[in-house]
Amino acid sequence: MIRVRPPLPSPFYPPPLSPPLVPQSSLFFLSPSLWGPQPTPASGRRQSAEGCPASSALQRRWRRRLRLRVFCQGQQAGPLGGPPALRGAAPWGSMAMNYNAKDEVDGGPPCAPGGTAKNRRPDNTAFKQQRLPAWQPILTAGTVLPTFFIIGLIFIPIGIGIFVTSNNIREIEIDYTGTDPSSPCNKCLSPNVTPCICTINFTLEQSFEGNVFMYYGLSNFYQNHRRYVKSRDDSQLNGDASALLNPSKECEPYRRNEDKPIAPCGAIANSMFNDTLELFLVGNESHPTPIPLKKKGIAWWTDKNVKFRNPPGGESLEERFKDTTKPVNWVKPVYMLDSEPDNNGFINEDFIVWMRTAALPTFRKLYRLIERKSDLHPTLPAGRYYLNITYNYPVHSFDGRKRMILSTISWMGGKNPFLGIAYITIGSISFLLGVVLLVINHKYRNSSNTADITI
Amino acid sequence: MSATRSRLVQIHGKNDNNSANGRNCKLFLLVLFLLYGEKFKQQEDLCSKKYAMPLGPESLLLRGARLKNTKEIFGVAIYTGMETKMALNYKSKSQKRSAVEKSMNTFLIIYLIILISEAIISTILKYTWQAEEKWDEPWYNQKTEHQRNSSKILRFISDFLAFLVLYNFIIPISLYVTVEMQKFLGSFFIGWDLDLYHEESDQKAQVNTSDLNEELGQVEYVFTDKTGTLTENEMQFRECSINGIKYQEINGRLVSEGPTPDSSDGNLSYLNSLSHLNNLSHLTTSSSFRTSPENETELIKEHDLFFKAVSLCHTVQISNVQTDGIGDGPWQSNLAPSQLEYYASSPDEKALVEAAARIGIVFIGNFEETMEVKTLGKLERYKLLHILEFDSDRRRMSVIVQAPSGEKFLFAKGAESSILPNCVGGEIEKTRIHVDEFALKGLRTLCMAYKQLTSKEYEEIDRRLFEARTALQQREEKLADVFQFIEKNLILLGATAVEDRLQDRVRETIEGLRMAGIKVWVLTGDKHETAVSVSLSCGHFHRTMNILELINQKSDSQCAEQLRQLARRIKEDHVIQHGLVVDGTSLSLALREHEKLFMEVCRNCSAVLCCRMAPLQKAKVIRLIKISPEKPITLAVGDGANDVSMIQEAHVGIGIMGKEGRQAARNSDYAIARFKFLSKLLFVHGHFYYIRIATLVQYFFYKNVCFITPQFLYQFYCLFSQQTLYDSVYLTLYNICFTSLPILIYSLLEQHIDPHVLQSKPTLYRDISKNRQLSIKTFLYWTILGFSHAFIFFFGSYFLIGKDISLLGNGQMFGNWTFGTLVFTVMVITVTVKMALETHFWTWINHLVTWGSIIFYFVFSLFYGGILWPFLGSQNMYFVFIQLLSSGSAWFAIILMVVTCLLLDIVKKVFERQLHPTNTEKAQLIKANSSIKCLDSMCCFSEGETACASVGRMLERVVGRCSPTHVSRSWSASDPFYTNDRSILTLSTMDSSTC
Repeated sequence: MIRVRPPLPSPFYPPPLSPPLVPQSSLFFLSPSLWGPQPTPASGRRQSAEGCPASSALQRRWRRRLRLRVFCQGQQAGPLGGPPALRGAAPWGSMAMNYNAKDEVDGGPPCAPGGTAKNRRPDNTAFKQQRLPAWQPILTAGTVLPTFFIIGLIFIPIGIGIFVTSNNIREIEIDYTGTDPSSPCNKCLSPNVTPCICTINFTLEQSFEGNVFMYYGLSNFYQNHRRYVKSRDDSQLNGDASALLNPSKECEPYRRNEDKPIAPCGAIANSMFNDTLELFLVGNESHPTPIPLKKKGIAWWTDKNVKFRNPPGGESLEERFKDTTKPVNWVKPVYMLDSEPDNNGFINEDFIVWMRTAALPTFRKLYRLIERKSDLHPTLPAGRYYLNITYNYPVHSFDGRKRMILSTISWMGGKNPFLGIAYITIGSISFLLGVVLLVINHKYRNSSNTADITI
Repeated sequence: MSATRSRLVQIHGKNDNNSANGRNCKLFLLVLFLLYGEKFKQQEDLCSKKYAMPLGPESLLLRGARLKNTKEIFGVAIYTGMETKMALNYKSKSQKRSAVEKSMNTFLIIYLIILISEAIISTILKYTWQAEEKWDEPWYNQKTEHQRNSSKILRFISDFLAFLVLYNFIIPISLYVTVEMQKFLGSFFIGWDLDLYHEESDQKAQVNTSDLNEELGQVEYVFTDKTGTLTENEMQFRECSINGIKYQEINGRLVSEGPTPDSSDGNLSYLNSLSHLNNLSHLTTSSSFRTSPENETELIKEHDLFFKAVSLCHTVQISNVQTDGIGDGPWQSNLAPSQLEYYASSPDEKALVEAAARIGIVFIGNFEETMEVKTLGKLERYKLLHILEFDSDRRRMSVIVQAPSGEKFLFAKGAESSILPNCVGGEIEKTRIHVDEFALKGLRTLCMAYKQLTSKEYEEIDRRLFEARTALQQREEKLADVFQFIEKNLILLGATAVEDRLQDRVRETIEGLRMAGIKVWVLTGDKHETAVSVSLSCGHFHRTMNILELINQKSDSQCAEQLRQLARRIKEDHVIQHGLVVDGTSLSLALREHEKLFMEVCRNCSAVLCCRMAPLQKAKVIRLIKISPEKPITLAVGDGANDVSMIQEAHVGIGIMGKEGRQAARNSDYAIARFKFLSKLLFVHGHFYYIRIATLVQYFFYKNVCFITPQFLYQFYCLFSQQTLYDSVYLTLYNICFTSLPILIYSLLEQHIDPHVLQSKPTLYRDISKNRQLSIKTFLYWTILGFSHAFIFFFGSYFLIGKDISLLGNGQMFGNWTFGTLVFTVMVITVTVKMALETHFWTWINHLVTWGSIIFYFVFSLFYGGILWPFLGSQNMYFVFIQLLSSGSAWFAIILMVVTCLLLDIVKKVFERQLHPTNTEKAQLIKANSSIKCLDSMCCFSEGETACASVGRMLERVVGRCSPTHVSRSWSASDPFYTNDRSILTLSTMDSSTC
């Protein structure tokens, strides 16, 4: 009943054109799989025909017989009875084999009886036979249609949400470049007037609630110029003592001045924004109230605390920066940027903000925070305000503009209608495409559903 | 060499080492000794006599020669330079490059042009922009003295080079690395394929060149050898015609074939002869031969003579050693009764000698100069006087032997066309008819003839042969003359018919090839009738085909006229399929003058059969097709050394690892064991490799366009200062880490259609013909897709960040590096997901590398940005990525941009599939019982084993209900072909019936 030596040593390679369809072929398929062990890709076990101890071979063969018989009975007495389909039979066979192989690991590598194993036979593993289990998705109108609708249905509400959020943000922008002759800051365009202080009046139509952020904006200022971007020394800014006295070559031509190393060196630091902006609310009373501006918390926390550090040493900051000189364009040295010690030197937040080079020639940088006082009163109530500018920073040489921006913030940042509009647009397009596709799918159903292959 | 010299000295006893002349003489003597052995010893002092002993090709030991009957020989290396056959062959083997590689190079040139023009545009714009002082050197961004003073031209050049460096990623260097890896690793799957493994010979497919994997998917012409390729090359003696009577061999007996009308001279004697023959074969064992009636001796003699001729006229060698080291010899047979093994250079000879042995005339061997034949147990010694070797011009060979009785015979054996004209006696006409009948059955025929030589005749022959053989000039011509002189006035003995069985599934394979739009040419050295009948039986020619013939053309003009006529006939009825038969001589005529006309005819024929071809002609035909205007991709299949030239000439050379040595397999690009494997090799492996590599190439260009175009666009916003958008680490790792693995794994594992479907529907092969996946249209599509994606990444990010709005909830601002990182993040995700969209075959490896790549990117970026790297000069990326991810807007923007990019592509794909589905796309919908397939493969995969046990049992219940035929059909990996012939013709869709 049991064929120990199968006529074909290959279990998974039934002769072409004549797949054995007769019931007993299940046995035929099962038995050879015992002799053709298949190493699995994971274990990489390669069972060799050589080196099989003859003594255990017989024993093993017996065991196999037993197991096989048991297995075969199990097969035939399967829940449904009848001949197991061929297609299913081979894997079961291989399974049986694999269990055997595992059981017999103790007795050395299992080997084919009689040493008739063919050496060159490729392993019948899923990987080598390119039969790895696989999910085979196909992009058809049917499968894609729901995706289009889902994208549409998800994106449009998101877009609306973002758009509304963005629209609720209050923002006011005041250009104080002074190129316009009528502008109060026009006088400051000539370099002779120093210091030049100008005042710009403006009115808030609506009150600003919550935290208000004060930005300064520059235009036509190429902070992203390659020569500019790399003109800094991060180790110097991180407080490295040797870099402090010997800044990187990248800082040229702002590396040394009068035989002293510049601290902080480089073009970025040298061109730090140095206008001072002050905001006053002109109330009903005659004397205006200054709006408190917070200068901490405008830089990334990691920049302030990790990336930027004052050099080590001495008691006072001045001492730590000795043997260095201030950047050419600066009025004060770096250790006099601020009165507070934790906002002075390299860790001055205005400085850190400036050192983060902007991506594009028109940019904003956070200048000050106006914190919410209480829930009841708006941070900046509607009304007349004036901006007091200490005008130092020259931009007219490169047609630049200077702006002051006041903005509230939502969870997703400042006022930017783009994202909302884009979401709504893409969502609508997707929905529309879904409809078009639905029509096409319906119209051409017949032609595409028939899987006839034409020559 | 020293041993040789001492031996030489020994022979001659004296040593005149005084002159160079003497040394040369000695060397010559040595050669002579080697060649003529003991015979030479008797010649006295040859050095002093003027005695010419020519050396010819027959005295050369060719590669692969085997030592026999001796332990050692002495040899002289005659020539080892560059003009040896091996070196010449080596030289002529040009580097084969695939069509994909060629189009890849074209694309590279296009991209090079794009790169250079982008660099030029940038440089020019930079200088127009910089013309104004305020942009060139604003107060905040001064140049160094050195920069200011450098010469303008130098600056211009360095700027141009800087842009080239900035954009150079558009030329994907990693493409070549990945392609090579894909080809090398991917080629393992051919060797691993069980379907390409031949059980009987224990041979799996071999890949000698991994460069041509995808070329297997591009084949338009298949040139195949017949013997050993379409056929088994296992010659079986089937029939013979002796003295005008046909006999068949049945179970070792000769049985006369049904009453022939020609055998009018005595039905009685015929019948008697039949009975006698039966007796004879019986008696071979009982050795009571001579008891047969007297009147039959004449017939017996003829049979006797016929089989003696068969067993004497050959160059078969004998090995008595049973299991020795050379057991893998080509013509080994286990002839059980005699324990003899015959080795022959041609399988026909072996089959004939074996047949003679079965009949009772056993060739035992040749010992020195005698051939021993055991006739019905009685040993007879024939002295072998001369062998007139076989050559392909004469197409015959002869031996001159001296019978034990002292009579000298000449036995000749050869093609009927070369024997019959030289015969003067015997049943020439009847034999001719029989030979034609044999040929019609597809049997290989040889004619046997003999001639008795008087001693006077022999002496003359001997003299003339010696003269010719020793001639120093024009030896070949002289020899040919002598042979012609000797081999005439023969008496025809009869003809033999040897069957060469067709390999299995040749018919289906050829049918499949034709359906795939591949033209099949059979190139064979066989005679016309044999070739045609084999062609018919293997399905190369159809019964319905209109067979055109271009044979036996003698002159140029005649050939041209015939060709024109054929062309006209083809034009007249173009509905019917045409088959063309050409023979070697006509072909050489046609190729000499009328190449164009001939090609015209050939291209319009669906099947071409070239018979009587010399090996070089085969290569020439392929060359002709190769250089024809369409430049089709050719594939040559062959098994023997005579096919090597053609295998090397064709774009793809396939060697059949048959019995005719390993020459072809070694020189081929791929070696397979059977012709039928060609269908899997081409339709499945070729198709897959082509799709894989085509997508690989396109995708690589696409992803690098995506990568570098934002950099280009960014230059417009940074004064063309060559500021990079991405950090240098990202620039380096993009192609190496972030996007390399998904495409590599895709290109190794992708199966866009189920392989069984591919093999059962060869027409799908047409979908990829003519390098369709790499056409300029698809190339443009991918390129434009790359550019549009790049625009979406860049401008999406630009509108998000560039409007100088804070994206963070705490109002803080991002810098240029965050901008670049945003673009890069969107890009990595999009490019990876785009790959995912292309993937039709998602194994766990694909999932791992695809999602793994994205995850790796995120993990890497978090890690890279999370540390102040001590050895890096700049800390640009410190916390940039983390800050980016902490912004809700950025997340929304990333999702939006990825979806937008992919939407474009999906829409295109879906619409194309919906409106103009290709056959491939239709075939993708055929699901070959995917659930079971999945399970099956899961079981083979180790982790799946245990899981499978339960799932399997459960599934078995489902499967158990299916009709067994259906299941087996979609299941059996080895039954990829049609279950019946109808499905070939009607191309019915594979019924995916549900259980």
